[in-house]
Amino acid sequence: MMDSLIELQSVTVQAQEHISLDEVSVAFPAGRSTAIMGPSGSGKSMLLKVAAAIIPPDFGRVLMHGKNLQRLGQKDMLEFRRTSGFMFQDAALWENKTIYENLALPIQLHFPDRGSGEIKKRIHELLEPMNLLDSLDLRPAALSEGERKIVSFLRAIVLDPEILFLDEPTTSIDHQLLEKMLRMIKTLNERGCTIIAVTHDAHLTAMIANYLVVLRDGRVLEAADTAEVRRSANREVIEILSQVLSQAATYDTDILDLLEE
Amino acid sequence: MIAKLGKNVSDAFGNFLYATGFLFNLAKESALFLRRRQVGFRVLVMQLLFTAVEAMGIIALISLGLGAVIVVQGISILPKFGQGKLIYTILLIVITRELGPLLTAFVIIARSGTAIATELGNMVISHEIEAYVSVGINPISYLAVPRFLGVTLSMVLLTIYFNFFGLFGSYVVTQFITPIQLQDYFQNLLSVMSVADIASSLIKAVVFGALISFTAIYQGFKVRVSSTEIPQVAIKAVGQGFVLCILADAVITLIYYV
Repeated sequence: MMDSLIELQSVTVQAQEHISLDEVSVAFPAGRSTAIMGPSGSGKSMLLKVAAAIIPPDFGRVLMHGKNLQRLGQKDMLEFRRTSGFMFQDAALWENKTIYENLALPIQLHFPDRGSGEIKKRIHELLEPMNLLDSLDLRPAALSEGERKIVSFLRAIVLDPEILFLDEPTTSIDHQLLEKMLRMIKTLNERGCTIIAVTHDAHLTAMIANYLVVLRDGRVLEAADTAEVRRSANREVIEILSQVLSQAATYDTDILDLLEE
Repeated sequence: MIAKLGKNVSDAFGNFLYATGFLFNLAKESALFLRRRQVGFRVLVMQLLFTAVEAMGIIALISLGLGAVIVVQGISILPKFGQGKLIYTILLIVITRELGPLLTAFVIIARSGTAIATELGNMVISHEIEAYVSVGINPISYLAVPRFLGVTLSMVLLTIYFNFFGLFGSYVVTQFITPIQLQDYFQNLLSVMSVADIASSLIKAVVFGALISFTAIYQGFKVRVSSTEIPQVAIKAVGQGFVLCILADAVITLIYYV
């Protein structure tokens, strides 16, 4: 039986009189990499934010190891935040802070006893491989879109999380940085970190995902191991995956071969 | 039409309940501010710098001008009725009790009220608020409380500053019309000044500061998805700020006299 880390039970989210998630029930397995796929506007980002307890559901429950995330006490919620990281689709860096401050704030919040030397060391360790050390004192507005996304990714992993939520992590990032980022995600996953990623990227999915959730119009069509989805006879799922992965939508094509690169 | 009216009433009631809950949360978090680990302390200092320090020039100019106008008007009219000494009472009523806090509030609404609503609205749109939540920071305690406390404290400090410059400015103008010793001027002023005048001025400053900051923060957080909402909430922050301050001014003045 699958050991689920986060589980959504009959979750409905209504935003601006539009139903973003409609009675969604899905479980994300612990220690594995899940890719959430679906056409634009299908509710993928909303699903990720609800699973990360950033947006509360209007109806239904979000459980982590069986505990309702919405009812966690302040201490337990802070612990959940310390052990999880979230990378936003649009980076969502704090514009009035420097890159250094963007990365230092989570450490200062969760480890107030850490000295500035220790914090600096951790930030250098993260920025150096991405060639962003020169940007330490810059504001996010001075960075390119790709660099902003990298910093958002680094902010998500700065506390070495046990759960990593990634919202379209690979868009706008150049090939060289992308390879480094993918390696870091893979390493985290190998160390036991649970990855939950919304993505359109076949390469990322092929590289890390061993569990797939397919969404359409705010409803889950399929949620299973990649291999199982591969054998799915559900034409809607095949169609969505081929659209999402920018491939020709031919029903006789085994589109999930792409995921087995 | 009845359905539309019903929906408007229901929306207004919903907004009122939401605002009440928000105010309660803000008050609770403000009370806990000093006891918490202070990652928000820097935000408070920045708010004080922006709202109080950077507004000192314009406040000095307005208060000096107001003090001067009162003296010029008073000295030219009051002696005709044998009430020359009333100028000190009028100075205190107008500067300390009434226009000092109110004009200071207007300056703060125009500068900080719009800035807070716009900044928070932009942060909602760019998902910065969600980013704070994702790392474990409560946006109310980190973003709202320092702004609330910063604006309220600034309002008090600037009102005191306004009173000082207003009364000092009137003395300077008096020198050009009927020169008077500084000591005599302030002795006359203090002879008509009561504790209630100072208390009224400070109470108004605290209430106005709280109303301005609460309105601006509430409106800023009300932005949902679109950048076109930002100028709308900024206008609402200004409009509601003015209305609430004038209403509160009337209520406090009534309490003082009745």
